[in-house]
Amino acid sequence: MTWATPMLAALVAAIAIPSLVILYFLKLRRVPREVSSTLLWKKSIQDLQANAPFQKLRRNLLLFLQLIILGLILLALAQPRSTASSAAGRKLVLLIDRSASMRAVDGDGSSAGERTRLEAAKERAIGLVEGLASPSLFEESEDADEAMVIAFDRSAEIVSQFTSDKQGLINAINGIEQTDGPSSIEEAYRLAQSQRPNRVVIDSGGDGTGTDPVELEGIKGGDAYFFHLFSDGKVGELDVVRADEDTADAPSFEYHAVGEAGAVNVGLTALRAERDYEDPTKLSVFVGVQSTDVNPRSVDAELRVGGRVVSVRAVNLDGAVVESQTGEKEASTGGVVFELVEPNGVMVEVRLSTGFGDAGMDVLETDNVGTLIVPPAKQASVALVTTGSLFLREALSGLSISDLQIMSPAQYEEMRDAGETGAIDLFVFDGTMPKASEGGVVFDPGRYLVIGDVYTGPGGVVDQGEGPGTQIINWRRGHPLLRDLTLDAVVLGKSRTIEIPDGSELVSLAETTEGPAIVEMSTGDVRAVMVAFDPAFSNWPFDVSFVVFLASAVDYLGTQVGTDVDVNARQITPGFVLADRVPSDAENIRVRLPDGTMSGEVIAAPDGRIVYGPIHQRGVYRVEWIGSAGASDLVEDGKVMRFYGANLLDGPESDLGSAASLGLSNRVVSASSQGEITRLKEWWPWLLLGAIGVMMLEWWIYNKKVYL
Amino acid sequence: MLRSENPTRPATIEELLSSELIGKISHLDVSSRKIFAGKLKGERRSKKRGESVEFADHRPYAMGDDLRHIDWNIYARLDRFFMKLFMEEEDLSLHIVIDASASADCGEPNKFYYMQQVAMSLGYIGLLNLNRVAVTAVGMRDELVMASLKGESGEQSIAGNIRDLRGRRRTHDLARFLCSITPEGGTDFGQACKRIAMSRRGKGVMIVLSDFFMKEGYETGLRLLVGRGYDVFAIQVLSPQEVDPDISGDLQLRDVEDGDMAEVTISAPLLKKYKENLSAYCQELRDFCARREITGLTIQSDTPIDTLLVDYLRKRGLLR
Repeated sequence: MTWATPMLAALVAAIAIPSLVILYFLKLRRVPREVSSTLLWKKSIQDLQANAPFQKLRRNLLLFLQLIILGLILLALAQPRSTASSAAGRKLVLLIDRSASMRAVDGDGSSAGERTRLEAAKERAIGLVEGLASPSLFEESEDADEAMVIAFDRSAEIVSQFTSDKQGLINAINGIEQTDGPSSIEEAYRLAQSQRPNRVVIDSGGDGTGTDPVELEGIKGGDAYFFHLFSDGKVGELDVVRADEDTADAPSFEYHAVGEAGAVNVGLTALRAERDYEDPTKLSVFVGVQSTDVNPRSVDAELRVGGRVVSVRAVNLDGAVVESQTGEKEASTGGVVFELVEPNGVMVEVRLSTGFGDAGMDVLETDNVGTLIVPPAKQASVALVTTGSLFLREALSGLSISDLQIMSPAQYEEMRDAGETGAIDLFVFDGTMPKASEGGVVFDPGRYLVIGDVYTGPGGVVDQGEGPGTQIINWRRGHPLLRDLTLDAVVLGKSRTIEIPDGSELVSLAETTEGPAIVEMSTGDVRAVMVAFDPAFSNWPFDVSFVVFLASAVDYLGTQVGTDVDVNARQITPGFVLADRVPSDAENIRVRLPDGTMSGEVIAAPDGRIVYGPIHQRGVYRVEWIGSAGASDLVEDGKVMRFYGANLLDGPESDLGSAASLGLSNRVVSASSQGEITRLKEWWPWLLLGAIGVMMLEWWIYNKKVYL
Repeated sequence: MLRSENPTRPATIEELLSSELIGKISHLDVSSRKIFAGKLKGERRSKKRGESVEFADHRPYAMGDDLRHIDWNIYARLDRFFMKLFMEEEDLSLHIVIDASASADCGEPNKFYYMQQVAMSLGYIGLLNLNRVAVTAVGMRDELVMASLKGESGEQSIAGNIRDLRGRRRTHDLARFLCSITPEGGTDFGQACKRIAMSRRGKGVMIVLSDFFMKEGYETGLRLLVGRGYDVFAIQVLSPQEVDPDISGDLQLRDVEDGDMAEVTISAPLLKKYKENLSAYCQELRDFCARREITGLTIQSDTPIDTLLVDYLRKRGLLR
């Protein structure tokens, strides 16, 4: 029992009680009445006084009742409240997990429950909020608890800043929405810590004379925070959390566990699609399944392509293994591979069904469905513009290229004049260069690999002619083109000395002792890689690195945005951002969420890069824009659409057993039991009610003359 | 019990004695348990035999009757009590003493008005039967008023007096006298009774109408009246409010006679105690009367006059 405003009540009592007593005695002006004789009355009074005990008290019964009423009102004024701890004025941080695992329906503590864990967590958080010491009615006292609410999955969001407004906090808690992402406490914890004021020290200036307070950035001071984590314990990055010392009244980090420790779940943990290298129309879909059931399970994996069920395969899973010593459960995994022929871009959906009569055997629905957006089986079409080199033709024809055309420079110019170059993904120029057009443009928009020549036009290199024999001494090992190469062994019999002028957009990828040997030019629509020297006068064509270089070049230049995409590039995980490139002329870019709502306009960077999110829901996202379309994009009514599949695919998140304790960086916190949340009880309304009751009793006595 | 705010002050005989009442009481006569020697010849038949008395009638014994008048022979025969009633002397003296103090001027219906009505009725019956009727109003009056009223001084305890009325034609004199009395001031009952006893000639029936709320006590007065040989009837008139007070709250009660104050807070125990005291007081009065061969009667001022006369007083042998 604590008192919110005892001083106020004492002050009022000091004034009111003497006033009441004085007023009472002043009030007692007896009404004069004339009676025939006072004889009997006097006798009666004397008899009564002689016989009755506590006569004085009885006479003042009304006064006593009034004092009781006043006392009750004064007690109410002091605002008594019953709390478990006497501590008030705390700062609480409520971290509420909203990740995918909180969607599990064992919030009631049983597998067959109807409530999700998030709902249970919200209820407990609200219970905690209701139990906070509220501010007194009369003054802004510092005794009120303040709480901040942070909802987090992998990302974190402050849904309510520090406030003592309970209703606001409850509304904020109720407003938290479930997401489908994995969870990590790191961002939430850092977000909470960032709210703390920086520690302030007195800058002594080295000579001990200074008095200026200085904030130390990064070192947090201020009041201690009391963290309350409402979660099932399936939270990543717990080791960033450092719990403060527990105070006498309350632990500094309390873990309110929801969900059932033995919750059973079967979920997808991996979903990938791959096209056959030789025959890109062959599509393989790899499905990874995890079960946390200790009994062996068999689930059906259903493959849907474009909404139609194509295949159903049973996945047999062993029972999860329980470590006998630690009690930790090692989930069993299994998988299945679907093979299908699908040259077109499709949406592949995999659905796990646990079968009938298995209620409670799979408490999380979210991880039973996975969606993949598979782009069409399209490979780069390459045109070799050559005057007759043998190496390149042989090397390129050895690569897996769907369409290799070989043409002379004259044929290329014809094609260029006809404006048909857009059909070719990559032009390989062998010892030649496109001619500059009338406007001085050398490269039309497209991708180019130039062997044995360099671009010397505006923004190009300075060609200083033939150089001596030399070696490649340095190259960008991190560049996708050269990542897997070793160019140490390449010896040039004849080199070409070039120089990249200052301010040029050209980037040198490999250098000889004489200067750049391979340069990349990347402007808005044009990407060209130029090998300055002629490989015919080197040992490179005989080195394996030459073929690898060509393959990488075709891959790198030929599969850029707008031509082809990696089959798994269109997969995102809830909690992360959707990032991609759209054609630079895309306008009015919007994202359509799985639930059908449209986002606001997304502004693309100048190079077409867009970022949206972090996304929260599982399902199919659709980016729409108006403008030119990439190769795999769908065009409908002038709108270009590109699809993305968002899947949880997170083994730890699908392992739903609620954790009984959390290992923080400095200690282990056990889950506090369900009943431990003590609700704060305000007593003043009851006291006022009692005062009203006594007042009515007094009124009744006054009227009824029923003086006891 | 409270002083009446607008007490009824009768001005005419009609207000004191209504025609219906006259019809009801005309056949009544005053009787006495005692034998009195009359001064003048009366209208009625008389059979004097020396000192002996003429037996008149029997009536059943009622509570409070004097045991000395029980006919023991009849008791021996019938095993029941009967009272012996004796024939009046021809000339019966009827003396009515009325309490004209302020305390009588209380209650609703007003006690004094009630007493006036009773006195008028009884006086009328007396006059009708050719008895000698006298009325004395008892109450303290200051000397000056009394002097102007009576032409003599020192009569402080007697507020008014009318004597030797006989015959029906004096009815209006009686009524005028009763109307002239206003209740006020205190009483000195003992002194008044002494004066009455001393000035009284002859014996007869005496009726005392009062509330008997006398701080100095009524015993001395009544004793004096009885001692002179009167057949005394004490009729205690109480207002309904005195029997069952309807007051509440914190009160300062002021005695209308002597201004005495009593501060009371009305409560259930207090009211209970008051009622106990009242009944004890009345009982005490009745016991006293029984011992002194006085017929005592307590009546509430809301009792109809004819009920009192035709029923109660007949039962007690005052009227027949």
